[in-house]
Amino acid sequence: MNSAFGDPAFWHRIQFAFTITYHYLFPQLTMGLAWFLVYWKWKALRTGDERYNRAVRFWAKIFGLNFAVGVVTGIPMEFQFGTNWASFSRYSGGVIGQTLAMEGMFAFFLESAFIGALVWGEKQLGPFKHFLVALGVAVGSWASGYFILVTNSFMQYPVGYEITPEGNLGLTNISEYLLNPWAVVQFAHNQSAAVVTGSFAIAALGAFYTLRRTHLEQASLYLRSGTLVGLIASLLVAFPTGDQQAKMVAHHQPVTLAAMEGRFHGGNMADISVLGEPDVKAQKLDNPIEIPGGLSFLANGTFESSVHGLDEYSQDLWPDNIELLYYSFHLMVTLGTIFIVLMGLATLQRFRGQLETSRWLLWPLMLAFPFPYIANTLGWMTTELGRQPWLIYGLFRTKDGYSHTVSAGDAIFTILGFIGLYFVLGLLFLYLTGREIYHGPEGEHDHG
Amino acid sequence: MIMVEIWYGILAFMLTTYVVLDGRNFGAGILHLFVARTPAERRQVIAAVGPLLSWHEVWLVASGGVMFVAFPRLLASGFSGYYLALFLVLWCLLLRGISLEVGGHLNDRMWQSLWDGVFAFSNILLGILFGTALGNVARGVPMNPTGEFHMAFFTNFGVRGDVGLLDWYTVSMGVVCMVMVTAHGATYLTLKTEGPVHDRCSRIARWLWCAVPVFFVLISVESWYVRPALLPEMLGSPLAWVGTLVTLAGAVAVFTGLRHRLEMRTFLGSGAIIVGLLGAGAATIFPVVLYSTLKTEDSMTAYTAASSLKSLELAMIWWPVALVLTFSYFWFIVRQYPGKVKLPRDEEGV
Repeated sequence: MNSAFGDPAFWHRIQFAFTITYHYLFPQLTMGLAWFLVYWKWKALRTGDERYNRAVRFWAKIFGLNFAVGVVTGIPMEFQFGTNWASFSRYSGGVIGQTLAMEGMFAFFLESAFIGALVWGEKQLGPFKHFLVALGVAVGSWASGYFILVTNSFMQYPVGYEITPEGNLGLTNISEYLLNPWAVVQFAHNQSAAVVTGSFAIAALGAFYTLRRTHLEQASLYLRSGTLVGLIASLLVAFPTGDQQAKMVAHHQPVTLAAMEGRFHGGNMADISVLGEPDVKAQKLDNPIEIPGGLSFLANGTFESSVHGLDEYSQDLWPDNIELLYYSFHLMVTLGTIFIVLMGLATLQRFRGQLETSRWLLWPLMLAFPFPYIANTLGWMTTELGRQPWLIYGLFRTKDGYSHTVSAGDAIFTILGFIGLYFVLGLLFLYLTGREIYHGPEGEHDHG
Repeated sequence: MIMVEIWYGILAFMLTTYVVLDGRNFGAGILHLFVARTPAERRQVIAAVGPLLSWHEVWLVASGGVMFVAFPRLLASGFSGYYLALFLVLWCLLLRGISLEVGGHLNDRMWQSLWDGVFAFSNILLGILFGTALGNVARGVPMNPTGEFHMAFFTNFGVRGDVGLLDWYTVSMGVVCMVMVTAHGATYLTLKTEGPVHDRCSRIARWLWCAVPVFFVLISVESWYVRPALLPEMLGSPLAWVGTLVTLAGAVAVFTGLRHRLEMRTFLGSGAIIVGLLGAGAATIFPVVLYSTLKTEDSMTAYTAASSLKSLELAMIWWPVALVLTFSYFWFIVRQYPGKVKLPRDEEGV
């Protein structure tokens, strides 16, 4: 039972990590696309330009497919709190149950009522009601994101709670809980990152059609909207939201920041490593390339200030996989920087009126769309690995949270089930999305 | 403690609403292989199930959320205890959602037949699984003194002591529930379709509603044998009486509705029967939410499962607001889809 293979906690973590990572591939696109649909619908309403309606019709189909997969992979997330994390649910349900229930009651009801009408109801509803429906879906999907981020933020930085006489958590201040400063910053960061995913997808399709010389009118719309919004969102992800997020971690989870940066020893004027490999055994960073004082500046705003190192904390407070945390964080930052450069170049070419003829730029734009997914995933890995060894920071440890009546074998069995089902689901999704893209936004092709 | 009772009522209300709304989809899903014989008829049934299927499903998800905030210990012990059964439910829900979404995307007979089959299969399994779950709530679970349990799929098929998920009682409850939701679904399809599908559903509904009373008497006798203490508790609970009256009123409506071909009345009656039965059941078992088949003292009650009073009070602030909002969306959408779903002509696509 000493090996990871027989350790139920390990498998419960793997299952949650796998199902949530897979699930979040879909909502990040729908959240990213939602406001594009609203904007195009509004433009169509104002100008009567049929191009915008065509764009909405096409992207609503992609949105609908993503939404459907998001729903069916999202339902298991909510249930896994009870099935796999019973001790955690028992302890914290009075608090985090609030936002999970609110997500269902406020966000899911709104989205699910209107999604069918968004995809299929254009004729039946007429332009104005169809615009309202698009707005409803957008508000619903972002509200859903907010409730989940409040839940996660409580786990990162618990506020507004009490410990009841039975030793569980109870909510005492709902506005403090819902307006957790951590949640506000994380929401801004996460939603900008979702818009990055959405705008990269739109720009990629624009580039694809332009390179293939088909659907040129739509392609030009996608390229223009995708690259401009992509640049703005990529900038927002880094500053101010990413910067604020890092300061929040520095302030409330100094051990996490030290681990993210591979900073084994504390002190003044902390350097920031651009490259390097953490060697946890030897407690040092191998082959580093560092900017002197950079970390002090990012964490505290001055180059001379002190930043804590891992050596200042007992090892049972360290995140349990420092290497993975370090690489996730650094790769996310690297990708984020590349996004700014790529979208910056594309926007520049667009204002010079040369984007549609710059094949050297259209190819990378087309091929870049998977990378925001990777960056989003890495961001969440940083968040979740960084919080370890806690489920609720400072209050409740991960190893105490899982369901004690569920064996490692049961968990492995359900993981295998998910892998199989999600593989088939992924194939279906890719096939159907590919089909929509192949038929394109101007085809006569009609489906149900 | 009034807060605990209110939240118990809210949870019962939400789960009942889920069963009434999604029950008809289960029924329609189970039936559509039999009542719809051409691809066009299949699509007619699926259009009747309608654009609100995921809104219906959200009632289940939101019930899970409400159970999480109001009765976290019930969620924790119940979900982890029924671990594998719950994943079966989740996977069936996944297959059901996907078959509806994917099936319509290709205008190809074999493709559509495949997903129609998956849709029917997952609905049948879900109907039985949910019924079995209800049977488990009535029968009880092998709760240990720490308030947890672990249940095998089956043990010796007996209903006392170290029980499993499946035994003769829970399986018969599963079958009864499947018959009930199929009758409910047939009634809904009769109301919502026209042409050959309508006629077949109307015939099937009559047969099923004749069978329901027989099954109902059977399961009542079984329940009385499995947990004799429930009968006096039911007789002593005024709310259970209200539930019984609602059921009876529903039965009268179904009977007269079928007789005079008043489809809306039959459908409302069918809904009332489900609401009445589940309401009476919830009132009868209160306050026990997880009955222990090993030692009655170890049973989990709504009071021991509930969150802190303050948490419950704070949730009371936002829940009614959300409820009003969701019914307003429902109203907005339902008004866009009035009347019967016509049989689509084949060349039109859906």
